[in-house]
Amino acid sequence: MANRLLEVEGLAKHFRGGGNWLSSGGDSIRAVDGVSFSVEEGETFALVGESGCGKTTVAKMILLLERPTRGAISFQGKDVSSFRGGSLREYKRLVQAVFQDPYSSLNPRMQVLDIIGEPLRVHQGMRGRDLRMRVGELLENVGLNPVTASFFPHQFSGGQRQRIAIARALALRPRLIVLDEPVSGLDVSIRAQILNLLVDLQRELGLSYLLISHDLAIVEHMSHRVGVMYVGKMVELATRDEFYGNTLHPYSNALLASVPQPDPDVPMGTTIGGEVASPINPPSGCRFHTRCPIYLETNMCREVEPEWREILSEHLTACHKVEPAVV
Amino acid sequence: MPARALEQMLRESKEDDILLRVEGLKTYFFQRSAVLKAVDGVSFSVAQGEAVGLVGESGSGKTMTCLSLMRLVPQPGARIVEGEIWFKGDNLLEMTEQEMRAYRGHRMAIVMQDPQTSLNPVYTVGEQVAEPVRLHLKERGQQAMARVLDSLRAVRIPRPELRLGQYPHQFSGGMRQRVVAAMGLTTQPELLIADEPTTSLDVTIQAQFLRLIRELQQDSGTSVIWVTHDLGIVAQMCDRVNVMYAGRIVESGRVRQIYKEPQHPYTRALLDSVPLMGTRREKLYQIEGQPPDLRSIPEGCPFWPRCPEAMDKCKEQYPPRTSLGGEDFVHCWLTEEGR
Ligand SMILES: Nc1ncnc2c1ncn2[C@@H]1O[C@H](COP(=O)(O)OP(=O)(O)OP(=O)(O)O)[C@@H](O)[C@H]1O
Ligand SMILES: Nc1ncnc2c1ncn2[C@@H]1O[C@H](COP(=O)(O)OP(=O)(O)O)[C@@H](O)[C@H]1O
Ligand code: SF4
Ligand code: SF4
Ligand SMILES: [Mg+2]
Ligand SMILES: [Mg+2]
Repeated sequence: MANRLLEVEGLAKHFRGGGNWLSSGGDSIRAVDGVSFSVEEGETFALVGESGCGKTTVAKMILLLERPTRGAISFQGKDVSSFRGGSLREYKRLVQAVFQDPYSSLNPRMQVLDIIGEPLRVHQGMRGRDLRMRVGELLENVGLNPVTASFFPHQFSGGQRQRIAIARALALRPRLIVLDEPVSGLDVSIRAQILNLLVDLQRELGLSYLLISHDLAIVEHMSHRVGVMYVGKMVELATRDEFYGNTLHPYSNALLASVPQPDPDVPMGTTIGGEVASPINPPSGCRFHTRCPIYLETNMCREVEPEWREILSEHLTACHKVEPAVV
Repeated sequence: MPARALEQMLRESKEDDILLRVEGLKTYFFQRSAVLKAVDGVSFSVAQGEAVGLVGESGSGKTMTCLSLMRLVPQPGARIVEGEIWFKGDNLLEMTEQEMRAYRGHRMAIVMQDPQTSLNPVYTVGEQVAEPVRLHLKERGQQAMARVLDSLRAVRIPRPELRLGQYPHQFSGGMRQRVVAAMGLTTQPELLIADEPTTSLDVTIQAQFLRLIRELQQDSGTSVIWVTHDLGIVAQMCDRVNVMYAGRIVESGRVRQIYKEPQHPYTRALLDSVPLMGTRREKLYQIEGQPPDLRSIPEGCPFWPRCPEAMDKCKEQYPPRTSLGGEDFVHCWLTEEGR
C-alpha cells in the first residue's frame, strides 16, 4: 500500500433541526453517518453520490469547518483532533480546498495579488518583492499571465477565476487539496482546461486530491479510487478499474446506468425510480432498500443494516446480497 | 374530413414531414453603444416526431434561438431582426401577437433551464398546470382537472390528487422539474422546446426524466428541440444535432454521423474535450481562448482565433454553407475547399 496521507474512520455528522413547526425541537439530520476511507500520497480519491448524500459535509469536517459528531480523522498517522498551535497551523497549511463556485469564492474587492498572497502573508509573513515573485510563479503554474496579479476577479472569466482559486490553494505548498465539484460551475469547453491543469499539477507536485463530484465521467477520468455515498453512508469503495469494471452495489450500478452514454448505439441502462431518501428519517435497515431494484421484500434488507465488508481485495461494499469471494 | 385538416394535409405533403423550418434567423440586442448579435443567421429544421439537439458553449445563442422561436425574446432590448420561422405552413414571424398566443403553450411549448423561476411560489401546482389548459383549450372545471391529473400522472407525480393543492416549495427539485414538464405537455404540443431541463437534477432523476420525455414523444409524436451541454443526452435523445458557435449553426447533421465523423473543427473539439465514460483518454482536448464577444464578432470564421486548422482565408471570409447531403451541412473552409 502506498503512503497513507489522510484517513477517515467512522466519521459522522448529525445536525440539529430538520423538524418543521409541527414537531418542536426538531429531529437530527444524519448528514454523514459513519464513513471510512483514506487518501494515499499522490492519488485522487473520488467521493460520488447524489446531492445531499453528505459529500460536502465530509469535506467540511476534513477542512475543520465542521466538528464531527463521531469518528476520527488522521493525517500522516496523527489524530487531527489532537492538533494544537503549530501542528494545527501546519495541518491547515497542508490541506487546502477549491470549491464549486469561482464567482463567490473570491473576494471581489481584492486584487489577485492579495487573493493569492493572503495565505503567504498570514502563514509565512511573506512581503514585498518576495510575495510578488511567488504570486507571479503561482499564476504561471496555473497558466495565467503574472501581469494579471493587479487585476480584480470581475476581470476574469469563470475558468480563469477557478485557476486563481487553484493558485491560492497551491500557495502554501499543500499535500492534499479538497476539490468540491471544481468544474460544475464552468462551461464544458473550460472544464477540460481545469481538469488537465489539475492532472498536471498532481504529477508535478505529487499532490493528493479528494475529488467530490456527481459526474461519473469526470470521476473516471480523474480518480485512482472511488467511494460512493448514499444518504450519509458509504456503500461501495474500490479502485477506479474495479469500480467501473466490476461494480458490486446495486446503487452504484444504478448510478452508472443512469449516465446517458455519448454513443447513440449504446442504449440507456435501466435506472431506478424514486428519489434520494432523506437524512432526517433515513430508511431502516439498508438505506437504499426503498429504491433498490434487487431488494426482494426480505426483512433482512428492511431491518438489518448491511455490514461494510471487503468483498474482493481493496473492494468494499455494504449489501446483503453481495457475497465475499471465496478466498 | 374538415376542409381545414385537408388543407393542412396538402401543405404538409408539400413540405414533406417538416414541422419547423427556420431560415436566416437573426436576433439582436440593441444596447447603448453596441449591437449584440445573439443569433446571427440561424437555419435548421425539425421533422415531425424528430428530436433535434442544440449544443454549444455558454453564450453561443441557444436560449435566444429558443426564445425567438416562441417569439418571447427579452423586451425591451432584444429584437428579431430578420428571418423566417415556418411552423407547418405558417410563418410565425408574420403572425400577430394575438395569433402567436394561440401557438404558445399550445402547439409549441418550452421547458426552461431553471424550474425555480418557471413556477410561481404563490400559486398551487394544480393551478399552474391548469393554466395552459384554461388558456388554450378553453377547458374548465372537471374537464380541466381531469387533464391536469392526467399530465401529472404522465410525469410520474405520485398521488397527484393530493399534490394538486400543494405549493412548489413542498416539492423536491426533481418533482418541480417534472411539474414544469407537465405544464409544457398538458396541451400536447406538436413542438416541445427543452432548454437544459435537467441540469439541476441528480443523475438518477435525470435518467427518469429522459425516459419520460422519450415515452411521451413516442406516444404522441411530439417533436423536441433539446438544448444541452451534455453530449450523452444528445446521443440518447436526439436524431439530429445542431452545433452553435457565436450565434450561428456551424454544423448540422444526424447524431450518428456527427459523433462518428464530425466535420467542423469546433464540433471535433467539443467531442474531444469532455471526459466520456468508458473512453479513457490521457489528456482532454483543450479549446484555447474564449468565444468572441458577440458585440464585435471578428471578420471571417468566428472560430478562427481558436481553430488549430485556421488558414488565411478563414480570417477574411465567413465560410459558406456546404451541404453534406439531405439536411446536413457545415460551415468551414476545410470542407468547402476539400471538395
Ligand atoms: N437579457 C439580455 N441582455 C443582453 N444580452 C443578453 C441577454 N440575454 C442573453 N444575452 C446575450 O445573448 C447571447 C446569447 O445568449 P443565450 O442565453 O442565448 O446563450 P446560451 O447559448 O443559451 O448560453 P447558456 O449555455 O449559458 O445557457 C450571449 O452573449 C448573452 O450574453
Ligand atoms: N449546516 C447544516 N445544517 C443542517 N443541515 C445541513 C447542514 N449542512 C448540510 N446539511 C444537510 O446535510 C445533508 C448533506 O449535505 P451535503 O454534505 O451538503 O451534501 P452533498 O455535498 O453530498 O450534496 C443534506 O441533507 C443537507 O441538507
Ligand atoms: S442490502 Fe438489500 S436493499 Fe440494500 S442494496 Fe443490498 S439488496 Fe438492495
Ligand atoms: S473555416 Fe477555417 S477557422 Fe473556421 S473552422 Fe474551418 S478551418 Fe477553422
Ligand atoms: Mg455538495
Ligand atoms: Mg441558455
